[in-house]
Amino acid sequence: MSDPRIDEALRPMLPRLRRFALWLARDPFVADDLVQSTVERALSKWASRREDESLRAWLFAILYRLFLDGKRRASRYALLLGSLHEDEPTWPSAERVAIANSTLAAFAALPVEQRSLLIWITVEGMSYQEVADILEIPIGTVMSRLSRARRALRLLGEGGRSETPPLRLLK
Amino acid sequence: MNTTPPSEHDIHAYVDGHLDGPRRGEVERYLSRHAEQADEVQGWRHDAQQLRTLLAGDLGAAPAVEAALDPTVMRLRRHQRRASRVAMAAGLLLCLALGGIGGWAARGMGTGSTAPMADAMQAYQLLAVDHGVGMDITTGNEGDLRAWLAGRVGATVHLPDLADAGFRPMGGRLFATDQGPAAMVLYDDGNGHTVSFYVRPPGAARHLLPRGEREDNGLLADYWSDGWHNYAVVALADAAGRAAAQRVVVKAI
Repeated sequence: MSDPRIDEALRPMLPRLRRFALWLARDPFVADDLVQSTVERALSKWASRREDESLRAWLFAILYRLFLDGKRRASRYALLLGSLHEDEPTWPSAERVAIANSTLAAFAALPVEQRSLLIWITVEGMSYQEVADILEIPIGTVMSRLSRARRALRLLGEGGRSETPPLRLLK
Repeated sequence: MNTTPPSEHDIHAYVDGHLDGPRRGEVERYLSRHAEQADEVQGWRHDAQQLRTLLAGDLGAAPAVEAALDPTVMRLRRHQRRASRVAMAAGLLLCLALGGIGGWAARGMGTGSTAPMADAMQAYQLLAVDHGVGMDITTGNEGDLRAWLAGRVGATVHLPDLADAGFRPMGGRLFATDQGPAAMVLYDDGNGHTVSFYVRPPGAARHLLPRGEREDNGLLADYWSDGWHNYAVVALADAAGRAAAQRVVVKAI
């Protein structure tokens, strides 16, 4: 594939990658960095991509691994500094988002992998096989993890409906 | 009627709308008889619908962000980065090369002379042209000259016996050089040909000379080293001098 055609193929994926990165990193600057690193990696590794592989799944897999690597590095660094925070930090305080919708609030509170699963499957409409390929797990495992993610979202979302939203961050 | 519950896969596929035909009907029939599970699945469909709607707004980004993330722009930046890395590497290589050349050119500076054994040629000019006027020791006795050399330059100095080549020593003179005391012994073949034998320590930097010869200002110098001292044989750069120097060198080395 020639360079302009590669760019043509990548371009429509960018908004989707950025949305996914936003919900992974929960910080627009980190998200943009993630997308940028993903595109760079994709450009340099384009030759190693299998032709039959879905481009979207391939890109999401790159971004997901980059994010996890970065998180691992950050937690190692934090460990080094002796100030390890809880695994799932709340939204960064500078975040200019207020989550009033209880489903969104519940979604934001889910662990990274459950959030990723739900974006890939329900929002992006990817196949279970594509998701199994990204996570490198059997399709049956994808199913059981998806069940857990959906139950967790339900539980958190309903909890939020009965009282004040569990996660509300104002400017 | 079939009462086995649908597989987890089929339930999710039903929620996500991937199921059609008879299997969809099966799931629907099953859920119609199991209210609790139907509620859960209904909730899942609701959540999925909500997420799709709510996250649709995140697809738009600021134009500046989109421009910065454009693959063509990024490819260009990648090329520029690679080019600048190549340029940096080339610059580094150039620095190394220049440093190497500079170092190579400067290597002789510590020895105080730019050309090898220039001091030997100067010494020859000083004495041989006047045929031995102003020597420190004037003797044809090689034993005396050896002792004289051993006491002043070094015990390992090897003074050649050139009687076979037709040359007899006339005497010697000491010189002070940056590398230490040097000595020159002048030989004469009785036919007006004068050859000098010059020896000097290699200096603190142990700058030992490789075997070589050069001509400068009408003089010819053959030089070499035996591992302890640098030696030179100097003669006039004419045919007779060349032949004489050749004979001396063969005997001396």
